[in-house]
Amino acid sequence: MKKTFLAKRNALLSSTNISWGAYALIVAILTLLLRLIAPNFFWTLFTPVFRASDSLSQASHAFFNSFGDTAKLALQNEKLTNENSALALQNQALLQKANSLSGLARESRGITAGVVARPPASPYDTLVLAGGSADGVTLGMEAFGDGGVPLGVITAVLADFSRVTLFSSSGMTLSGWVGRTNLPVTITGAGAGAMRASVARSAGITSGDIVFAPGPGQLPIGSVARVDSDPSSPSVTLRIMPALNLFSVAWVTLRDTGSALRGALSSTTPTLP
Amino acid sequence: MMRGTLTILSLVSVVFFPWPLTALLAAGASSVEPLVPLAVGLFADTLYYAPQAGALPLFTLCGILLTAISFFVRSRLKTGSIGR
Repeated sequence: MKKTFLAKRNALLSSTNISWGAYALIVAILTLLLRLIAPNFFWTLFTPVFRASDSLSQASHAFFNSFGDTAKLALQNEKLTNENSALALQNQALLQKANSLSGLARESRGITAGVVARPPASPYDTLVLAGGSADGVTLGMEAFGDGGVPLGVITAVLADFSRVTLFSSSGMTLSGWVGRTNLPVTITGAGAGAMRASVARSAGITSGDIVFAPGPGQLPIGSVARVDSDPSSPSVTLRIMPALNLFSVAWVTLRDTGSALRGALSSTTPTLP
Repeated sequence: MMRGTLTILSLVSVVFFPWPLTALLAAGASSVEPLVPLAVGLFADTLYYAPQAGALPLFTLCGILLTAISFFVRSRLKTGSIGR
């Protein structure tokens, strides 16, 4: 008689009958046993998992908190939208105003140019500016320092650069005024940043008196540093120091002061082009 | 496939997700795998239960309760006319 062998099936262990839930239960029980039997190994094993969980929970907590109060968020959104619109309008208005002012400034206040080289990098009593004919600089424009102090005259212009010959340059002559009584004087460049002028001894000019140069009105160009007098001469020589330290001038403003200045300039240095 | 996914997701959520989501997943999985709530509860207490607190292993107890309810409902469905 032929025996038929049927495979015995265990209701608990047969792979076909064990469900996913049973597998999960086995995993949970094994984990529990691991914690009970080898707690150190268990915590070592699960510490990275807990760290990852903490990082994820913090990130998700922050993310979900941002949606916590929708009414508040909607209110804030509306407020920010209104502010954005107001700021955009204000920005447009300011832009328009800036354009208008810049055009006005260019017309009335001249061209601002940076100083590329000053003594001793440049020849004495000259400044090299980073502004040339491309920026609207022309020969004869007057250069002003901080506070509107006249510094010199443009004597050479290239496309992107120009040169200012300072009033202190040897050979430069300029009509001006000195003292409280606005005594007319002829100011002559003495070189190395200094100027001189001759006035009558009886004028009573003393050290510290301000020297003015023509510009739009009278502009302070320097002050009397010393009065040299010769007893045999009826005049005294004024040693004039410029109002600005020429070695520290970084920016100048160039303006065309018109024929008044050019007429006041009697000559320029023979070395200029 | 769905059973496996639900089971694994329930176990993973014990570690990475907040407990309400884990409970929801376990409850959902119990409709197809009654043992999953028990496994999830046991796994959660294995990870987070602190014996010195003197508290009951609530996750396991809740899992047992949910598993029992699931088995009961399934037995009623099998004996009833709905499953035929």
